[in-house]
Amino acid sequence: MLTATNLSICYGPRKALDNFNIALAPGEIRALIGPNGSGKSTALQGMAGLVKPEAGAVTIDGAQMSGMTRREIAHRLSFLPQQPTAPDEMTVEQLVRQGRFAHVGLFRRYRREDEDAIAWALESTGLAPLAERPLSALSGGERQRAWISAALAQEAKVLLLDEPTTFLDIGYQIEVLDLVHRLSRERGVTVVMAIHDLNQAMSIADRITLMEKGRVVFDGTSDALAESGLIEQVFRVEGRFVQIASDGPPHFDVHLKRWSGKRGFESAKHAPAS
Amino acid sequence: MTSTASTTPHRAARPAYLMTLLFLLALASLALAIFLGVVDLNPSDTLAALTGHGSPEARAIILDIRLPRILTGMLAGIHFALAGLLLQSITRNPLADPSLMGVSQGAMLAVSGFLVFTVYSHDTGSTTLQELPVHWLPLIGTLGGLAAGGFIYLIAFRRDLGPLRITLCGIAVGAVLHAIGIGLMAGWGSGRLEVLLEWFSGSLYARGWQHALFLLPFTAAGLAVLPIIRRPMELLRFDATVARSFGLSYRAQFSVVLLVACALAASAVGVVGPVVFVGLIVPHMARFLAGRQTRIVLPLTVALGAIAMTLADLAGRLAGGAEEIPIGVVTAICGVPLLVALLRKTP
Repeated sequence: MLTATNLSICYGPRKALDNFNIALAPGEIRALIGPNGSGKSTALQGMAGLVKPEAGAVTIDGAQMSGMTRREIAHRLSFLPQQPTAPDEMTVEQLVRQGRFAHVGLFRRYRREDEDAIAWALESTGLAPLAERPLSALSGGERQRAWISAALAQEAKVLLLDEPTTFLDIGYQIEVLDLVHRLSRERGVTVVMAIHDLNQAMSIADRITLMEKGRVVFDGTSDALAESGLIEQVFRVEGRFVQIASDGPPHFDVHLKRWSGKRGFESAKHAPAS
Repeated sequence: MTSTASTTPHRAARPAYLMTLLFLLALASLALAIFLGVVDLNPSDTLAALTGHGSPEARAIILDIRLPRILTGMLAGIHFALAGLLLQSITRNPLADPSLMGVSQGAMLAVSGFLVFTVYSHDTGSTTLQELPVHWLPLIGTLGGLAAGGFIYLIAFRRDLGPLRITLCGIAVGAVLHAIGIGLMAGWGSGRLEVLLEWFSGSLYARGWQHALFLLPFTAAGLAVLPIIRRPMELLRFDATVARSFGLSYRAQFSVVLLVACALAASAVGVVGPVVFVGLIVPHMARFLAGRQTRIVLPLTVALGAIAMTLADLAGRLAGGAEEIPIGVVTAICGVPLLVALLRKTP
C-alpha cells in the first residue's frame, strides 16, 4: 500500500523529520500521535509527496512517488491539511467537485461516475442538504466535513488527515471518527490521521505511531503502547492506563496536580478498575 | 446514491439568458459607438458608409477612424478584463490588476526610454506626434511589459512561488520602474511631454486598423487557452498544498496562467496605455452578475470588458467635445463609485 522508508525532511537547518519509517496495510487505520512540533504534519506532507525529502523515499502501490505527477498521486492518495482555506463564495458542492479533478483532468466532461462519487461524498458526510450553501455560511464542524467530503470525492485508497477533529465539538469529533471507521471497514480505505486526543487515537486506530522530535519512538498496537510507558515520558505527564470495557481499548487517565490532595474523594466517586 | 442531474436545468437557464443579454449589449454598444461621435453624421449617412457607399468623408470617418478605434478598444478591454480576472484568481488578491505584475510600469518605462533614445539619437527638433516614431510604441510597450512581468516571475520563482511573494515583488519592482519612468520624463523636457502624457493616461485617440491587428493575435491566443486553464484556475484559488493534493501541477499551471495574463495585459498597455480600473472592476462585475454560476464568470468577463471599454471611450469622445477626454480618465472616474458599490453588495 503506502510505505515510507528512511524519510528525512529539513526546513532550512532544522530537521523536521528524521529517518521516518512506516508501512501501511490496506484498510488499516493508523493514528499519528506526538507532542506539538514532533513532526506529525511533516510526516503526513512527506507521505503525500508535498515536500521534497532530504533523503528516503515514499512508495505507493509499489511505485516510487517521486516519479509520479500530482494527478497520478491524487488518484491513489488524498490529503487533507490542517485548517485548509477555500474561496469564500464557493459552495459545498463546488468544493467537493474539485475533488474530482484528478479524474476529469483539464477537459473531460463530468460523467455519471463523477456525479455519483460527488453525491456519495456529500451523503456520507451528511452534507447533501447543505450542498448549495456557500462555505462562508457554514459552522466550523460543517466546513471541516465539507473538506473531508472533497477528499472522499477523490475516491483514493489512501486518506491522510491532519488533525481532522481539532476545533470540532465532541459530537462532530465522534462523527468524523465513525466516518473514518466506516471508510476503512466498508471501502477498504487506508487512513492515516494525526490526532491529539490519545484516547480517541487508541480507540479508533489499528496501530499507533508515536513521534518525538521528528523521530518515531513507538509503532504498534494500543495495548503495546499502554505497556511501554512511553506516553508519560514523551508528553511529560503523569497518569495511568485503565481498562474501562474488558474488550475495549486502554484508556489513559491523566493525573492532574489539583486533585493530588483529593485522591480519596476521586476513588470513592469513580471506583476505577485496576 | 442520487444524481445531481435534477438540479441542472434551473441552473442552466439563467446563464444562457445572461450571456444572450450581454452579447446583445455588446452589439448595442458597438452600434452606439459607431453612430455617435464628435462629427455629426446622420444615421443614413453612417449606414451608407458602412456598406461602402456614401460620401468619401463619411466613409473615412466611419471606416478609417471610428470602426478601427472601437474595435481596438474592445480588444484591449477584453485583454485588461481577462488579465485582471486571471491575476485576481491566482494571486488570491481581489485588488490585483495588470499594474500588480509591473506590466503597466514596465511598458511605461520602455515607451519613455524608447522615445528619449530615438529623439536624442536623431533629433528633429519636433514635438509633433507625426514625427515621433509612434508606430513602434505598441511593440515597445508590449515588450517592456512582458520583460517586467518576466522579471518579477523569475524573482518569485527562484524560491517558492507563493501568491503573496509574487504580489510583493510586483509592487516593489513596479514602483522602481515607475520611478525611473517618471525620472526619464522629468529629464526629457516639458516640450515633448504631450505624446507621452496622452499615452500614459490611457487613450484610444488616433488608434487605427494597425492597432486592432496588432492586438488580434494576442486576443485569439488568449481566448484559445481559456478552455485549457478553466479548471486549473478554479484550483489555483486554493492554497498550493490543497491544489496539489487535488492533483494540480501547481507551479506549471500557475506559470501558464501568469504568462497568459502578462501577455494580454502587456499588449493592451502597449497599444492604448495603462487604462486603469477596467482590469480591476470588470472581473468583480462579472463575478457579481454570475453569482454562484462560477462557470460563466470567464465569458462574462470577456463580454463586459469589451462593453466597458467601448462605452467609456464613447463617453470620453462625446463629453469632451473637440478636446476628447482620454478613456483612462473616464474609467478612473466611473470606476471608483462602481468599485465602492460592488464592495457594498459583496457579503
